[in-house]
Amino acid sequence: MAVLRTLHHTIAQDWQRMLLSGLLFAVLFQVLMLLALMIRFQALPNYVVAYDWIGNVIHIVKSTPSWRDIPPIINQEWLLEVGKINYEYGTGISEWSLNVVPVRMMVLFVLGLLVALCTSLQRRDTCTAGPATTLRAATGIGTILVAMTNATMSWVVCCAAPSWVVGLAMLGLGVATSLALETMGPALNIAGFGLLSCTVVFLAWRKTRAAKSQMGAPSHA
Amino acid sequence: MKNCFNLKSAFLAATLIPIGAIAQAEKISIAVGHQSMCTDTYTAGIVIKELGLLEKHLPTEGAYADAEYDISWADYSSGGPITNQMLANKLNFGVMGDYPLIVNGAKFQETDSLRTLYVAGTGYNLKGSGNAIVVPVESDIYSIDQLNGKEVSTPVGSAAWGMLLKAMQDNGIPTSDYVLKNQSPAVGAANIAAGKIDAHSDFCPWSEIMEFRGTGRKIYDGAETGVPYLHGVVVRQDFAEEYPEVVQAFIKAVYEAGEWIREDPMRAVSEMEGWTGVEKEVLYLYFSKGGHLTLEPSIKTEWIDALKFNHGVLVKEKAIPPLDFEAWITEDYLKAAYADMGVDYAADKAKMVDPAVANEGLPMEIWHARDGISSYATMPEFLTAVAEMQGTGAKLNSTYVYDVETGLKLFGKTAFWVKTGDGYATFLRKGEAEAYAAENAGALVTFDEAVADFISET
Repeated sequence: MAVLRTLHHTIAQDWQRMLLSGLLFAVLFQVLMLLALMIRFQALPNYVVAYDWIGNVIHIVKSTPSWRDIPPIINQEWLLEVGKINYEYGTGISEWSLNVVPVRMMVLFVLGLLVALCTSLQRRDTCTAGPATTLRAATGIGTILVAMTNATMSWVVCCAAPSWVVGLAMLGLGVATSLALETMGPALNIAGFGLLSCTVVFLAWRKTRAAKSQMGAPSHA
Repeated sequence: MKNCFNLKSAFLAATLIPIGAIAQAEKISIAVGHQSMCTDTYTAGIVIKELGLLEKHLPTEGAYADAEYDISWADYSSGGPITNQMLANKLNFGVMGDYPLIVNGAKFQETDSLRTLYVAGTGYNLKGSGNAIVVPVESDIYSIDQLNGKEVSTPVGSAAWGMLLKAMQDNGIPTSDYVLKNQSPAVGAANIAAGKIDAHSDFCPWSEIMEFRGTGRKIYDGAETGVPYLHGVVVRQDFAEEYPEVVQAFIKAVYEAGEWIREDPMRAVSEMEGWTGVEKEVLYLYFSKGGHLTLEPSIKTEWIDALKFNHGVLVKEKAIPPLDFEAWITEDYLKAAYADMGVDYAADKAKMVDPAVANEGLPMEIWHARDGISSYATMPEFLTAVAEMQGTGAKLNSTYVYDVETGLKLFGKTAFWVKTGDGYATFLRKGEAEAYAAENAGALVTFDEAVADFISET
């Protein structure tokens, strides 16, 4: 309960910063992915398509009989597509694109919130350098795992479906390895969030313990 | 589950009934996902769209008397996104190649409540031609065994990828002995042109585009795998059950599109070039008499076997879900559509076109830029005509000959020519041409050298 109170107190104190961090994280990650695509392919995007995300979600809910089937389908719905079409062949082929997927942006927003919460809990932390580095590393690894598995870049070589392994393939990871890793996406995502959540709980616990020991210490001894 | 449904119904009632109430007459939305850069899908895609064949066959009587159709077409560069859009119910029909078709069926069967049905084919090549491995035109690689230790690219997950894996396995080249790169058709074609990759494996018509543009040369044709290469039509089961006559109309349109192409292939490819941007000379290789593609929508037992084989490859390489072929494939709509058209379905289904047999004795062809296509029964006649036309400075769009081994139609300029006395034979691969030359005391010559033999001095 004391840990929850610490968390509540930290969130109440820092909620504006955390909210801003979440939003910035979600938006900046899209910018980062677009920049990565432009640098990797040495080309500027030449097309943008906006999609009626809300309308499409309503349509999916309306036409999918099972509730269980709905989330994974909505999970693939795009809001915006920015990319490059190669017009040298036929009527043109989209070679690469960034797909802005609202569901993934929400995940990234939550990720940003968690990272901001971690940094809030670590601020004014008086622990020694060793554990602090470990905690920062845990936060970093958790962030990378979640961010990596929520990348939404398409590359026509991957049969033009946005997949998180496209980022790895773009970085030069072998085809077989990328494909083998693809199915591990949800597990890695959960592992990342798990790591971040554990870090948050641990930080809150340590902060609670530090506060208690400070309260218990005799003053002017 | 039922409670979930009730909850969902209540949610939908609250949010969607006002939208539904606006509609007065029954409006049937038909959305089709097709691929204008994949030749084998044309009879269920671009041809139907541009000729308005679906509109022509849609039912307008009985339960459909008041129906108002809203037809939309979406063009994709591969089958994967079509499946995603079908899952989201933004597309009812999808047209794609064998591997993406399997992924489509398996992905739908993985859900609780959604299914697709494989209702018709579009066309096929019995031996698997359509996919091919291409090398840069100046490359010294002439056979697949020379790819040992080389970099080979392919669009992973496509039919060409499946063909490449099988071709390498068949030739005893394990994946560890070559570097497999993931490249799109356009990127692969550009890299072949620039000589940046040792070989590229791709689906129809990319290999022929590279050959026609003079940048690439085929070293391996999908026909060598012996696994049929086919494309087909999938439809959402809920749509098919609600509007079976619309599905039948679609199949009738596919059939008529095939008839339209067969009626006048030159007109068809000229029109299709305008619709798709793919060179008509390349399309002629597919759609002309003796071309790579047999346009026919029936579902044959051999197709099901081929699809099962392909599913095995996908399970092994991409860990795709299982697929119940019995539940997925249905001939009911095909049979009903054929019966309506008065065409014998069983006869079509029993027919099997093997290019090696069907193309034997077919005439060589010259596509004159102004005068169109002319045919020649013998090689001397053909080469004489080429020499004469070139002598007048006429522009020849293309010339077509046949591979002695497989019966595949080839561009005259990219075939390997063997001269044996006064006779000439043409081959897809250099190795077979050399063997033929050795057996028949002949010699390998270029197309230009063969033509030069017929240039008259006067």
